[in-house]
Amino acid sequence: MLLNFDRLGWWKLVLIGITVLTAAFLLLPILFIAALSFGSSQWLIFPPPGWTLQWYRELLADPRWLESAWTSFQIAIIVTVLSVLLGLVTSFGLTRARFMFREALKALFLTPMILPVVVLAVALYAFFLQIGLNGTLSGFVISHLVLALPFSILSITNALEGFDKSIEDAAVLCGASPFEAKIRVTLPAISHGIFSAAIFSFLTSWDEVVVAIFMASPTLQTLPVKVWATLRQDLTPVVAAASTLLILLTVLLMVLVALVRKGLKS
Amino acid sequence: MLSRTDAKAAGSNVPARLTLTDFDLTLPALGLLVLFFVVPVAILLARSVSEPVPGFGNYAELLGSSTYLKIFANTFLVSGLVTFVSLVIGFPVAWALAVMPSRFASVIFAILLLSMWTNLLARTYAWMVLLQRTGVVNKLLVGLGLIDTPLPLVNNLTGVTIGMTYIMLPFVILPLYGVIRKIDPAILQAAALCGANRWQALVRVLLPLAMPGMAAGALMVFVMSLGYFVTPALLGGTANMMLAELIAQFVQSLVNWGMGGAAALVLLVVTLALYAVQLRFFGTDRMGGR
Repeated sequence: MLLNFDRLGWWKLVLIGITVLTAAFLLLPILFIAALSFGSSQWLIFPPPGWTLQWYRELLADPRWLESAWTSFQIAIIVTVLSVLLGLVTSFGLTRARFMFREALKALFLTPMILPVVVLAVALYAFFLQIGLNGTLSGFVISHLVLALPFSILSITNALEGFDKSIEDAAVLCGASPFEAKIRVTLPAISHGIFSAAIFSFLTSWDEVVVAIFMASPTLQTLPVKVWATLRQDLTPVVAAASTLLILLTVLLMVLVALVRKGLKS
Repeated sequence: MLSRTDAKAAGSNVPARLTLTDFDLTLPALGLLVLFFVVPVAILLARSVSEPVPGFGNYAELLGSSTYLKIFANTFLVSGLVTFVSLVIGFPVAWALAVMPSRFASVIFAILLLSMWTNLLARTYAWMVLLQRTGVVNKLLVGLGLIDTPLPLVNNLTGVTIGMTYIMLPFVILPLYGVIRKIDPAILQAAALCGANRWQALVRVLLPLAMPGMAAGALMVFVMSLGYFVTPALLGGTANMMLAELIAQFVQSLVNWGMGGAAALVLLVVTLALYAVQLRFFGTDRMGGR
């Protein structure tokens, strides 16, 4: 009755109403920012009095925005590569090995995902101050890697657990070396897990703010830190332009994920 | 590692070869985690009982001052409010998603995922603009004649609650959807056959069956909210600071590592305690809604 759409009666309308309103609540602010980034009013009036590309020009003309975007991109790419490689190796260990405390070890690997980021940020900040890694690219990469790795391990172990190991064994029986079998048989079979590990790792690093606020120096900061610092001063539409570019990247990655999923199914 | 010891234990004459076992594969990540996660957090916590003088002075100060207690209270208040509002909105949405035709549901899912993946700062910025005195929300309310003068919607409890609920909603809806989806519709048909009307079926069958999912989702949102930093810092005012901001302030502007460490430990303990509750009562195997 309550779980049958056609038999909900007028409750159906209430449920649909709440759902549509919630979806609008989630979607409209994102569209709103995108619209305002093309608006001609400096005071972010909606609807804007006119349309302009001024804020994008300001964004692109300011070398600090470009530099921070480039820094973010470099860090995110390095973190993605390291996170996938390390996640792959670790996941093979976690799914194939038979040892005590395996579940506990897996839980330990996932803890950075659940603990408050601010605690890690403050702890790493103190630690890096002592060993001189604050404000360095390595500092950013290490701290983002700690946050991204759990997502990577989770995606790849899930894929590996769903993979029938006897196929890999069969390849070995047919004369492949164990390593060759992993590369040529197992890796292609779990490629969807590797792909989502890469996307999650990239986005974790690219969007990360809290640790980055502590890690940043006047000369080296990521895009979210630049947005954060700008927002603390005023609500300039330049941030709307920057936000719109960030949103655009998310949409592109989501479409990519959807396409790959579709490709895998067919 | 294991193979070497095994070979020795067996008293074999074959020299222990340096072969990698599966366990060894986890060592690089373990090393990274210990060096850059476990050790730094441990050092921070150690500093809370050693700086400026050894002892529990920092904790006494933290738990004995009305200023800090107000921040704790506010942190729990905001987290509780956000959790409550998210559940109230999230339950009907999760329920609707579970019964809707899949074409319609997939559009809603796409919006949920887009919102979840969109940059946190971009979303918080959107609310800063929307809720400001001259923002769209105030203009709309005045235009509809609901209020005469613009309401203060940012830099206060209202602003943080709206902004954080916005961020937390998908984290309630998605798990709850999973739980409701797994409920057998036949149970509700049985309730109808036994004479239950819609309300009775909702209150006495559907809600209780969805309760483990509600509780798990609520705990997750509550715990996540407790440690939130960015959104409260941008949408909340100085009068309602949250715990994560306090930690950041101790460390960044006051350079007081002892107090920073102590506040971090309080946050950690509360977080871990709530996760323990979650594991104990709503372990993943019990998430099935029965």
